[in-house]
Amino acid sequence: MAFLSIESVSKTYEANGNSPGVRVLSDVSVEIAEGDFVCLMGPSGSGKSTLLTIIGAMNHPSEGRVLVDEIDVYGLTDERRADFRREYLGFVFQQHHLMPYLNTIENAMLPLATTTLSAKEKRNRAIDVLEKVGLADKASRLPNQLSGGEQGRLAIARAIVNEPPLILADEPTGSLDTKTGRDVMEVFLKLNAQGQTVFMVTHNPENSALAHRIINIVDGRIV
Amino acid sequence: MRITTIALANLKRRKGKAAFLTIGIAIGIGTAVALLSLSSSIKEEIGSQLDRFGANIVVVPQSNSLSLDYGGLSVSSVSFDVKQLKNEDANSVLDIPFRNRISNVSPKLLGAVGVNGREVLLVGVDFESELTLKRWWHVAGRTPEGPQELLAGYEVARALSLIEPAAPSAEQHVSHGGSHDSSEDQFQFKIINDRIMIADREHRVAGVISQTGGPEDGMIFGSLAHVQSLLNKPGQLSLIEVSALCKDCPIGDIVAQIAERIPHAKVSAIQQSVRARSETVERLTRFSAVVSAVVLAIGALMIFTTMMGSVIERTKEIGVLRAIGFRRTHIIKGLMIEVAVISLLGGLLGWAAGLLASWIALPYFAETRVVFEFQPLLAIVAIAAGLIIGTISSFYPIVRASRLDPSEAVRYV
Repeated sequence: MAFLSIESVSKTYEANGNSPGVRVLSDVSVEIAEGDFVCLMGPSGSGKSTLLTIIGAMNHPSEGRVLVDEIDVYGLTDERRADFRREYLGFVFQQHHLMPYLNTIENAMLPLATTTLSAKEKRNRAIDVLEKVGLADKASRLPNQLSGGEQGRLAIARAIVNEPPLILADEPTGSLDTKTGRDVMEVFLKLNAQGQTVFMVTHNPENSALAHRIINIVDGRIV
Repeated sequence: MRITTIALANLKRRKGKAAFLTIGIAIGIGTAVALLSLSSSIKEEIGSQLDRFGANIVVVPQSNSLSLDYGGLSVSSVSFDVKQLKNEDANSVLDIPFRNRISNVSPKLLGAVGVNGREVLLVGVDFESELTLKRWWHVAGRTPEGPQELLAGYEVARALSLIEPAAPSAEQHVSHGGSHDSSEDQFQFKIINDRIMIADREHRVAGVISQTGGPEDGMIFGSLAHVQSLLNKPGQLSLIEVSALCKDCPIGDIVAQIAERIPHAKVSAIQQSVRARSETVERLTRFSAVVSAVVLAIGALMIFTTMMGSVIERTKEIGVLRAIGFRRTHIIKGLMIEVAVISLLGGLLGWAAGLLASWIALPYFAETRVVFEFQPLLAIVAIAAGLIIGTISSFYPIVRASRLDPSEAVRYV
């Protein structure tokens, strides 16, 4: 049984004013096993990010369904879907999107803010993940006091602090130089080696070469 | 790390915007507090000033007997009337349950006497309470001190040749003492003769009341006990004037209580005076309420637009929070905490600023001065009002932020 199952998913953005409706995904079906490392590749506008946000329980598909650990993600209510995101998913965004007013450790523990864990437990978990990504010594720094690579690693720390079984990454090395990008990819490999499933959108062939599996998408269709 | 931590950190980051909103709320609340404090103090002053403008309740004997005219009121005057008011009746007024609302009781005895061959209305009064009641009297000379000393109305004094017109120079102004006198007062006359004969006894006119256009112009005033003796009416009164502090007191109840205490008297409220007082005070209150409401509405609108802008500005941030598992209620809670902190601070500052403003402004509007004292209720109401206005005006932007579809937000992500 696949851990992540995308079943005949299509997505059409409805016509809005003068903009005509756009079909960005057509009948996409993919199955990903637990512990897999999958890279999704494709040219700009092919529907990569849309598919990622649909898997990420943030973008309702026009047709089809998404199952994660046998949970029909879009069968959940809005609030339950938020809980699902917190419990099952870890997001790493291309621009990192760290909170500029929170320091490193606070950014790392952000997903835990709404949980019932004790303050001590939240802190311990944040320290653990910062150690994993090599930022434990920079816990009190603000994001603007970190390098690009460190920001990328902090974004990964935030994504894994709630120990999600599935990590979704949208071009996590896209804004980084080659060396820093490799460092970040090493973190993903390490996490995957520890059993976490990784689904990554990337343009970078070097990154995709590290994945167990590459899925190509063109014009909204898996090829 | 809790939602509160995020909200407070966000406020710290957006100090300028938080300060702007705080000031906005503080201005609204401050204006309301200042206006309410001012209007409250001015109301007090207007009330007490109006109360000083004479009596608003008149007690006369229940009688259909021959009467004399006193300021448009019929009062009994002849000794054969069986229902006479007594000195004790004046004291009874101060025994009613609402006695703390009574500011002045002025008993009087009226009678006609011959003075230098003329018929004059002689009024026996207690000078202390009478002069307190008639604040508009300006006395040339001084207040009578002994039983043989009198106070004459302007027309009487003129008719009896007690005064003559004076040239308007400082040296010629008659100096005068007493509670109503002021060295800066100027009179258009000077006293040239202060001796008159009443009932074959010589009396001294200690002072002359400058022209008022009222009934007192044609009267002579003496001490109550002395007039009772002159008129051979010991212990008797013609009427009692009562001044009740009636900004918001139940004048009808006071009248009823006096009537119950003095059953042989007819007690009447001078309704016009009471109505005028209430209307003046009411208008002032309404004006303050309207101005406060307008200022608060403008403040609320400012908070609304600022919060709308803030939500739009934070779309990306809210999108990220939603993406990592924040529920709508978590977003609402975080934004509400921010608004609550700002509103509480704004309410507190507004309360303090309002009190300070009213303290500074009051001397320009009234003669009284606000005494700085901690009024917990006003502080609580001001802070609560800040909180309510902040919350209500932020409600829509916050709900809108919470409803932000993550798929919309992720366009920025």
